[in-house]
Amino acid sequence: MNAIFGLVLITSTAILIFVNPDAALAAMLSGGEKALSLTLKMVVIYAVWLGVFELLSRSGLSNKIAKGLKPMNKLLFGQLPDKANDYMSLNISANILGMSGATTPMGIKSIQELEKHPNTEYAITMFFVLNATSIQLIPSSVMALRTSMNSSSPADIILPTVLATLLSTVIGVILVKLFVKKRG
Amino acid sequence: MSKYFIPVLFLIIFFYSLIKKVKPYDAFTQGAKSAIPFAVSVFPYLVSIFVITELFEVSGISNAVSNFLSPFFRILGIPKELTKLVLIKPFSGNGALAILTEIYSTYGVDSYLARCASVIYGSSETVFYIAAVYFAGAKTKKLAVPIIISLVASFFSCVFACFICLIM
Repeated sequence: MNAIFGLVLITSTAILIFVNPDAALAAMLSGGEKALSLTLKMVVIYAVWLGVFELLSRSGLSNKIAKGLKPMNKLLFGQLPDKANDYMSLNISANILGMSGATTPMGIKSIQELEKHPNTEYAITMFFVLNATSIQLIPSSVMALRTSMNSSSPADIILPTVLATLLSTVIGVILVKLFVKKRG
Repeated sequence: MSKYFIPVLFLIIFFYSLIKKVKPYDAFTQGAKSAIPFAVSVFPYLVSIFVITELFEVSGISNAVSNFLSPFFRILGIPKELTKLVLIKPFSGNGALAILTEIYSTYGVDSYLARCASVIYGSSETVFYIAAVYFAGAKTKKLAVPIIISLVASFFSCVFACFICLIM
């Protein structure tokens, strides 16, 4: 991350000094503004979802979901600490159901929880890769955009999209299995 | 159909909590409270990602890299018009959406390029953004391996997307 960040920072600033010196600070500030407006949007989404999740966990429902997903989790991640298994199960269910607002807070909690235990690098990597290549069942935003631009069949991209996401997830899982060691 | 999904799910959760005698106001408030520290911990990472994305675009590096890579992408079946989309998507969802809209209006929303772009956009994630957010609260800074694996996997699915849109 540091290498990429440093490289882009230096080369782009250097180029802008010659091309358009006014744009350098302006671009950085506009990036910051976008980050702030996104963060504000996210506080609201997190607040609602974390409120619902608290109900889920106090009622014991999240435990049931976690128990149901335990065999699959064991297969993907190996042995997991209980609490991490709970959060990860909620994140994965939210991913499969396409509830993008709900995935993030549970994702952050999962990684924080996993980190408390030794030898979880494999599980963390696998978990991240699953999220970063996540299966989306219905690409609703793309379909909405195509409809608004008068596509004759906005839905014809659903099957290719599902297949492509599935492929990226499968490749991701295989790569993790090949290149990341399971134990410390 | 899908518009009923979330309210029905919520109703089940609310109802189940009621049966289990959870205090709904206390629980919901408690959960919502943790949203602020989350957002605070994520913010600096988002600023960094967005600043770098913006500089990448404004300085013209993004165009240069995309011109440089497009011959290689073409060998793998990714049309040169889509190179930039493939490159921007891991960094910025909004940036990618702008390119997608442009492709729709330039080449027609039902053209091969547009369908292919739709599949690429819909099937890949903003990997760097997810990395920044998911690892915001983490102590480990070893992000290289998970990021590279995710990018490689997403790239394969882009190649696959361009292929499958030829036959479907």
